[in-house]
Amino acid sequence: MAVKIIESCVNCFACEPVCPSKAIYEAKPHFLVDAKKCTECEGDFPDYQCASICPIEGAILDSLGLAINPPGSLTGIPPEKMAEAMAELQSH
Amino acid sequence: MQLPVINDAPASKGGCSASSCGTTENQMDSLPDSIREKVQNHPCYSEDAHHYFARMHVAVAPACNIQCHYCNRKYDCANESRPGVVSELLTPDQAVKKTMAVAANIPQMTVLGIAGPGDPLANPERTFETFRRLSEEAPDIKLCVSTNGLALPDAVEELSKHNIDHVTITINCVDPEIGAKIYPWIYWKNKRIKGIKGAKILIEQQQKGLEMLIAKGILVKVNSVMIPGVNDQHLAEVSKVVKSKGAFLHNVMPLIAEAEHGTFYGVMGQRGPTHDELQDLQDACSGDMNMMRHCRQCRADAVGMLGEDRGDEFTLDKIEDMEIDYQAAMEKRKVIHQAIQAEMDSKRLEKATKVAQHKAELKLTTRPVLMAVATSGQGIINVHFGHAKEFLIYEASPDGVRFISHRKADQYCGGDTTCGDGESTLQVTIRALAGCEAVLCSKVGYEPWEMLEAAGIAPNGEHAMEPIEEAVMAVYKEMAAAGKLDNIPEAVRASA
Repeated sequence: MAVKIIESCVNCFACEPVCPSKAIYEAKPHFLVDAKKCTECEGDFPDYQCASICPIEGAILDSLGLAINPPGSLTGIPPEKMAEAMAELQSH
Repeated sequence: MQLPVINDAPASKGGCSASSCGTTENQMDSLPDSIREKVQNHPCYSEDAHHYFARMHVAVAPACNIQCHYCNRKYDCANESRPGVVSELLTPDQAVKKTMAVAANIPQMTVLGIAGPGDPLANPERTFETFRRLSEEAPDIKLCVSTNGLALPDAVEELSKHNIDHVTITINCVDPEIGAKIYPWIYWKNKRIKGIKGAKILIEQQQKGLEMLIAKGILVKVNSVMIPGVNDQHLAEVSKVVKSKGAFLHNVMPLIAEAEHGTFYGVMGQRGPTHDELQDLQDACSGDMNMMRHCRQCRADAVGMLGEDRGDEFTLDKIEDMEIDYQAAMEKRKVIHQAIQAEMDSKRLEKATKVAQHKAELKLTTRPVLMAVATSGQGIINVHFGHAKEFLIYEASPDGVRFISHRKADQYCGGDTTCGDGESTLQVTIRALAGCEAVLCSKVGYEPWEMLEAAGIAPNGEHAMEPIEEAVMAVYKEMAAAGKLDNIPEAVRASA
């Protein structure tokens, strides 16, 4: 039972201080979760604290490997709109 | 279009005093002496000080506790110049070292700000450690912080301990329904709170923080991002509210939104305001509030005079090798600051006298004119047209000369071929000068000269090294004498 931070993490430090179990640590190329320490906030908070402050969609996965903040859930940008804008930029 | 402008300034102060009709002073005039003294040498607060003094930001604060629709937290881009973007995140120790290195090498640097790239108060340990050490080790540097306000009430006590006398709060709205269109979520009391509920908490915290700072005697400037169709109609109300609570300066900034920034507004095609829309709003707010017009919306790691960035000279590997004797540097800085101060004082006096003279001589009833000026500081025209990265825009009218805004000559992002539909840099620059009828610089090349003339902007290289306001007024008089300016019909002037 542990969450996981993946490569889309931008190293903003926001999650590190809010973890009740001190399971998150600075590492290269991005922050990591110590799976032995992570409790998924059980007993402390109803929501994953790291995933409640993380600004990057998809950067934190739950124990099933699913994005806790899926595309579009934080920025409000519909994923298809984002894909369209990126395709438009790359075509130049 | 310009008519409300001339009439606005006098109305806001109940009369246009001879010394202050125009540029810097009118934004500062209504301030009590105690505040004016604190801000008159601050490049970010005083329009004329920004020609002489420099500022820097240290990027020690990466975390943020809210999301704004104009921000993208993937912030590492060396080619962009906008708030929230940095290339190198610093530890407090590195930040202190960098600040002292810059202070020793750029003695006119008087102000250190922490502005991100996240929210400084969402990183209280890193932010306050930096302030604490700098107030001990470099006591001749003014410290400033900017914040979204969410964590502000809890930080006021600590801020007052570190002798920070200026705080900037970004307040884009006082109405949660508008807030929900700007802030998709906040992190508050261990929860992510979305929509109107989140915006309401943020607004309450901002207002509470503002009141607490004022009660502590800390100066507060308010920044607002003007977002057409979202809060543009609402910002005059924001200006009124923050003024009534004691903020001393309101800085309305244009939204920066490009799809390549990956922000909500950028991707969704939200546009920023035009130069005219921004100016109209700033003028509309100026009746209630001191407005700031020279903000450059700089990066969270900017170094140098406003409008320039010398960050490359002070990267971590470079400062590592610098030996700084700060006591010696402080002595040197003091002498230089006194000299700058003396120069500014004499220029202020000279300007006041000149303006009074102009007013006495000038019996013009001509319309106002916008002019662009290329300058790198010292209040004089000293940059070649082709070298200008930005232009300062002044308005000349029978009432005098006043500073309006700055405009960038190149676009925000690095400016490769993906930007700007194949326009040349020159075409982009000339388009940025739309609405101006003359451009004053130290020299203009042949090609731009022709293109400027074709665009209806008179190039002028005759006032190189002259003080800006005097040169602008001289050109205005020439234009009037040459019959280029229609008189304003009496009826319009009388009714205004």
